[in-house]
Amino acid sequence: MNGEQSERTMPSDPFAPFRGMRDAYLDAMAKAMVDAVNSEGYAQASGVMLDACLTASAPFREALERSMVHALEQLSLPSRQEVASLAARFTNLELRLDDMDAKLDAFFASQQRSAAAGPAETPQRAPAAAAPASDVQAGATTPPSRGKAAARGKKR
Amino acid sequence: MAEATARSDPPSLLEQRLQTLSRVLTTKARIAQTPKQLVWALNKAKLFRYVPAVPEQRRHRVPLLLIFAIMNRPSILDLRPGHSFVEHMIQRGYDVYLLDWGVPGIEDQGLKFDDYALEYLPRAIRKLKATSGVEEFSLLGWCIGAILTTIYAAMRPDDGVRNLLLLTAPLDFSNRQGLTFARWTDSKYFPLEKALAAFGNMPGEMIDYGAKMLKPVDNFIGNYAKLWDIIDDPRAVEAWHAMNTWVTDFIPMAGGAYRQLIDDLYRNNRLMKGQFMIRGERVDLSRIRANLFTVIAEGDHITPPCQSASIMDKVSSKDKELFRVPGGHIGIMAGSAAHRLTWPHIEKWLGARSG
Repeated sequence: MNGEQSERTMPSDPFAPFRGMRDAYLDAMAKAMVDAVNSEGYAQASGVMLDACLTASAPFREALERSMVHALEQLSLPSRQEVASLAARFTNLELRLDDMDAKLDAFFASQQRSAAAGPAETPQRAPAAAAPASDVQAGATTPPSRGKAAARGKKR
Repeated sequence: MAEATARSDPPSLLEQRLQTLSRVLTTKARIAQTPKQLVWALNKAKLFRYVPAVPEQRRHRVPLLLIFAIMNRPSILDLRPGHSFVEHMIQRGYDVYLLDWGVPGIEDQGLKFDDYALEYLPRAIRKLKATSGVEEFSLLGWCIGAILTTIYAAMRPDDGVRNLLLLTAPLDFSNRQGLTFARWTDSKYFPLEKALAAFGNMPGEMIDYGAKMLKPVDNFIGNYAKLWDIIDDPRAVEAWHAMNTWVTDFIPMAGGAYRQLIDDLYRNNRLMKGQFMIRGERVDLSRIRANLFTVIAEGDHITPPCQSASIMDKVSSKDKELFRVPGGHIGIMAGSAAHRLTWPHIEKWLGARSG
């Protein structure tokens, strides 16, 4: 190992002499703090602080919300609650679509079973979400409709 | 003089360290890199299938579905290439699926365990079955994910759950003296309804702060002192960076589920007492018949071991095993020793039961 390498693997650290002292101090502090936060006193104090914070901020929060709703109304824009309720309706639609998807899967599965029972040759069942290889990337996603369409296309 | 110039200049070394420090504290590491496909989505939830790494003939028949907590990203299961539980399992022939709950919006504040366990999970499982072509599956739940999988396995015992794996599962809240969270969230102190009225969903920052305050010195000081100690070791720094990226990626918890967690579980221990109601039906743990593997982290301060052990006596499973691992709540699955201590045991147990 030459001098430069040894410098890289064991570099001079001005804090090295204090490391043992630091670790001992942190250990002692850690134990004391764990005991402190584990006490009824801490639970009570943190509860009181949170309660006070929420109580104090509530009037401002409500006033801000009222004025925001009013401002959005003046601008003919939907409020947060209206957007939330719209999103909830979308979710309900998604649920209905998922129900239909389940029925379609069941239908294709039963078709395949009956075809397999009969004499006619049937195509092999493709995995329901066999997406094109180009869709597969590190951490990437494939739109479900594309995978589904591809699978159904194969099934047909 | 010549020797002095050949060596690294101390200021430049310090500068280099500060640059590394700045980089890992201000940037996100690339995590969750294992290739995957989206096979199903509903609202914010997404079901992914990891691209298999071994040919179909050498793969296990029974697919594995991973369920993580609802207030953290599931990327911890696939932290970084070379150190990923997902990667470990697909390389050993498992067909691995992951249900990512996503980030709840304000419109999701009413979502409860009822919805996660009996609306989203069964639908994702239906899709998993359609995709894999197999009726049986293994279910691995971690942390709050283990609560959801336990509820599901108890309420849908005939749905095909062959193997149930629970990692650091917070199920038993009877030992109130041993649970710091139970003390903090006691109805005498914690204004649950006021907090939910103010926030709707419980903010991720508050949940993270609570988890960190269990060990404040370790989390707020020790973690960064450790980074300074390893700053000249690029591999150790990258591991720290990846973990820090995951730890600092907070997501809120749906208000309805948070209310149930605090009121029904932490305050009243209803699941273990057999009084937990989901969609009007009692969750009866004795209805669980799947093979059960429970992993307990001996040094877990978030879910102490006393919370996970008692399920073993409540279920009807004939094949059940309790496995204790040294380590913390996250460390047992994502720490540097996970590939030696935890993953091989999970794989060995599951391999014998996955066809």
